Amino acid sequence: MRKVEAGRPWEVPTWAVTSEAHYLHRREFLRLFGYGIAGTALLPATMRAASAGFPDSLNPSFKLEGAKLTSEDSITSYNNFYEWGFAKGQPQELSNKGWKTDPWTLEIGGLCANPRKIGINELIKLVGGIERRNYRHRCVEAWSMVIPWDGFPLAKLIDLAQPKSGAKYVKFTSFFDPEQCPGQRSNDLPWPYTEGLTLPEAMNELAFVATGLYAKPLRNQNGAPIRLVVPWKYGFKSAKSLVKIEFVSDRPKTTWNELAPNEYGFYANVNPNVDHPRWSQASERVIGGGFFSGKQPTLMFNGYEKQVAPLYAGMDLRKNF
Amino acid sequence: MNVLLKILAHKLFALTVLISVGMWFLLIPAFTGRLGANPLETLLHESGEIAIWTLGAVLALSPLRVLFPNSRIVMALNRHRRAIGVTACAYGLLHFSLHVLYEGGLDGLVRSLSKPFIWIGAAGLTILLILAITSNQWSVRLLGGKNWKLLHRLAYVAAGLLIYHQAIAGKGHWAIARWLLFSLAALQGARLAKTLLQKKRPDVPRRISQNRLQPVQIASSVRFR
Repeated sequence: MRKVEAGRPWEVPTWAVTSEAHYLHRREFLRLFGYGIAGTALLPATMRAASAGFPDSLNPSFKLEGAKLTSEDSITSYNNFYEWGFAKGQPQELSNKGWKTDPWTLEIGGLCANPRKIGINELIKLVGGIERRNYRHRCVEAWSMVIPWDGFPLAKLIDLAQPKSGAKYVKFTSFFDPEQCPGQRSNDLPWPYTEGLTLPEAMNELAFVATGLYAKPLRNQNGAPIRLVVPWKYGFKSAKSLVKIEFVSDRPKTTWNELAPNEYGFYANVNPNVDHPRWSQASERVIGGGFFSGKQPTLMFNGYEKQVAPLYAGMDLRKNF
Repeated sequence: MNVLLKILAHKLFALTVLISVGMWFLLIPAFTGRLGANPLETLLHESGEIAIWTLGAVLALSPLRVLFPNSRIVMALNRHRRAIGVTACAYGLLHFSLHVLYEGGLDGLVRSLSKPFIWIGAAGLTILLILAITSNQWSVRLLGGKNWKLLHRLAYVAAGLLIYHQAIAGKGHWAIARWLLFSLAALQGARLAKTLLQKKRPDVPRRISQNRLQPVQIASSVRFR
């Protein structure tokens, strides 16, 4: 039988002793950590999108208390980004084969007093930097994640642009580069991808422009270097890799709505009471939940009812889905 | 050649191939962590794909037999039609079980069944299940050869329903499903054409060829005369 070792009070218990392997690895740890601080210059090319504003800090109003963040691995490997193919893994695989998302120019135009073309890093400085927000993300395909985005409120960009009185909608246009982008070489979708919001929706405090996630510049497959995030709407409203933001007087054509108006509405607010023709929207599968987790109930406006319900006061949400 | 044919015709060969498909696309990825961020969804989709292509394989075999009556390879493979058909049903049942698991139980299942996408798939699978249950000599005797054949022609109805189910399952799926649909349609078309041409030839003894004809073909051949 083994003797139980009775240690003296001042002795460091065996389990607390740093293993030799860890001790020897401390330099590597310091080196990696140092690289992180040294900035994004040393990041792999695929992670060098808009790097301005890091490190940022969490906006405490958007901590999303009690929610479990989806793993970074899941967020960066399970993507609907049809420019790179229909399968969830294709964007990660194909968008990192030399597609450059830095430098990148965004055009802000249409009915506004201050139209401009601007680099993303410059834009970040102009809006006063970035902050971190944890948002629920609900895909129209009935799965969901919780994502720590880094970016700035869309309202700040709108303030910068100064929309004119005739502007009623904001139109978002994604990049178009069929030479790089296999999905855009087919006509499955009318490229480039376009989305739109009403001006009041765009001004809502939740509407967000992301340039990063998990405190790092956006990965290409997540819509680098700059994308929209509208957490109370289905994911497809949050257009990726934007090249143009325009203020317009009429409701803009939006990709999925044009393609299948009976399946994808212009508003596309998360609504557990209005089903997709092929599946129920009453519940959602949480990514990372495991085989036997089942589904969790979907919340009205994805849980952001308090903030956004007034936008749709008096509107028939069944008709304007 | 003879050895190859013997292998092809062997039950063990068919069983190995049919099980390997599931091992390769479902089991191995599951145990090596290659199912992605939504593993259950991957299994759900893969099992459905396996089921429909297995069904496609069995439906391709009978026209191939008519088109290439002298091919010993086709003959050897045709011995496995029952095994392949039952396997298609088994993968279909696995697909359905995964759907129930994905929906998180009975409530979700019932909710999902209100969608045509789901109940059309379920209808197709029900047909496959009936055909699998009656795919034995005992059932042939019980129903009588003619009725049994008629019943098992429902496999084409199931294929139609299930290819539709596959095609609308998601964006880009039609691009895959159409290959299956067009190849099966082409094979059936060629088989029909060949049977009709043979019927027109006077030197083919009518009784023999008629035994192998299907009601639809008899009707159309009457029109041709």
